[in-house]
Amino acid sequence: MEKSIPQPIFSVSDFIAVVNQTFDYAYPTIEVEGEVASFKINQEKFVFFDIKDKTGSISCFMTVWQLRVPIEDGMKVIVTASPKLTQWGKFSLTVKLVRPSGEGALKKSFEILKAKLSSEGLFAPERKRQLPSIPGHIAVISSTQAAGYADFIKILDDRWGGVEVSVAQVQVQGVGAPDQIIKAIEYFNQVEHLPEVLVIIRGGGSADDLSAFNDEPLVRAIASSRVPTLVGVGHETDESLADLVADVRASTPSNAAQILVPDKNEIIRSVNFKVSSLLPRVDQMITQQAQAINLILVTVMDKIETAIEERKSVIGNLKNVLIQLDPNKVLARGYALLRGKPVVGSVIEIETSKVIMEAEVKYVSSK
Amino acid sequence: MSVVNKTIQEKTNELAELVAWFDGDKFELEAALDKFKEAEKLAAEIEKDLNSLKNEIMIVKKKFSSGE
Repeated sequence: MEKSIPQPIFSVSDFIAVVNQTFDYAYPTIEVEGEVASFKINQEKFVFFDIKDKTGSISCFMTVWQLRVPIEDGMKVIVTASPKLTQWGKFSLTVKLVRPSGEGALKKSFEILKAKLSSEGLFAPERKRQLPSIPGHIAVISSTQAAGYADFIKILDDRWGGVEVSVAQVQVQGVGAPDQIIKAIEYFNQVEHLPEVLVIIRGGGSADDLSAFNDEPLVRAIASSRVPTLVGVGHETDESLADLVADVRASTPSNAAQILVPDKNEIIRSVNFKVSSLLPRVDQMITQQAQAINLILVTVMDKIETAIEERKSVIGNLKNVLIQLDPNKVLARGYALLRGKPVVGSVIEIETSKVIMEAEVKYVSSK
Repeated sequence: MSVVNKTIQEKTNELAELVAWFDGDKFELEAALDKFKEAEKLAAEIEKDLNSLKNEIMIVKKKFSSGE
């Protein structure tokens, strides 16, 4: 015959405590997926909702501060919680974290939070600060194991040098990622040697992978960073709230490096081009000056030739005058040349064009 | 901006001034060759400086996971 073991008799409170102890031992933290129902916030502090599927429903409780993404009735979520039996005998989940599950829920949550933060002016263009043209010290927040980080460093090294790069190694996806990134932002905002730019990067991934960058406290931490921020998350087509709130948005981690520093190879090409274009310029100046000198020579030659022609013309005229003054010409016209004194009785010489004769002066009178 | 970059910036500015001299009113053919040699030297220095600069990457020791 079986010996019966006496069952312990608990007080109600003790039994509740034992049940909770059992829960703590068996299920310290569980994740439950379901649809949100009866969502409400009491006194702006406490959040109550049910999580349900086709046949079951469980009450959930959390504080407003733990609610990092907006949720609403009908949204599919995953809660990270601890099961608990209340002192009134009601079973509920004490939720530590709730996150949207599935593309539809993620998108919905994204749009709600985007609208909320936008209405607060967090994405306003007038909030955006300029990045320094060539930073000397930057801080990078990323996972050093990720391809996106490797891409960023490769492009940065290819393009420029002499930059001090402080890197905070953080998770860039999963439940812990937003808090780690927030801590890293706070760290770089408090260090004595303040970086000139805060770069937050992560390569591509699924919507769920990238959802860490739609976390409300993270978005607010980026917005409140006193160090200007550059965020490059995912691929070109991905849009996160961290992108929208950043001072400058990069489409990818590689693009973040391109935005951050100039391309030294382009500068070298440009510098060499400038210098190589100087010699043709000197050649051009020599040609111009030679042309100017030639022009002056031509002008001078023209002037000399004109002066010679003028002189020739004057001489020609004088020659004509001289020809006309030739005494032979006068004699040829029938005139005669007299030599000797016009005194009565004296002999004078008379020259015509054809003969020379002598004659005696017989009469002289004044005109 | 780092000290070395400042020097590159100064050299770049100096080169820009030299290039502007060739286009400006003060251009003199007699001085052009010397100025050209100066520009060529500066360009070579800028290229050398840019290629010799290396980024210094330092992983922060602090851990950012929960509770640390």
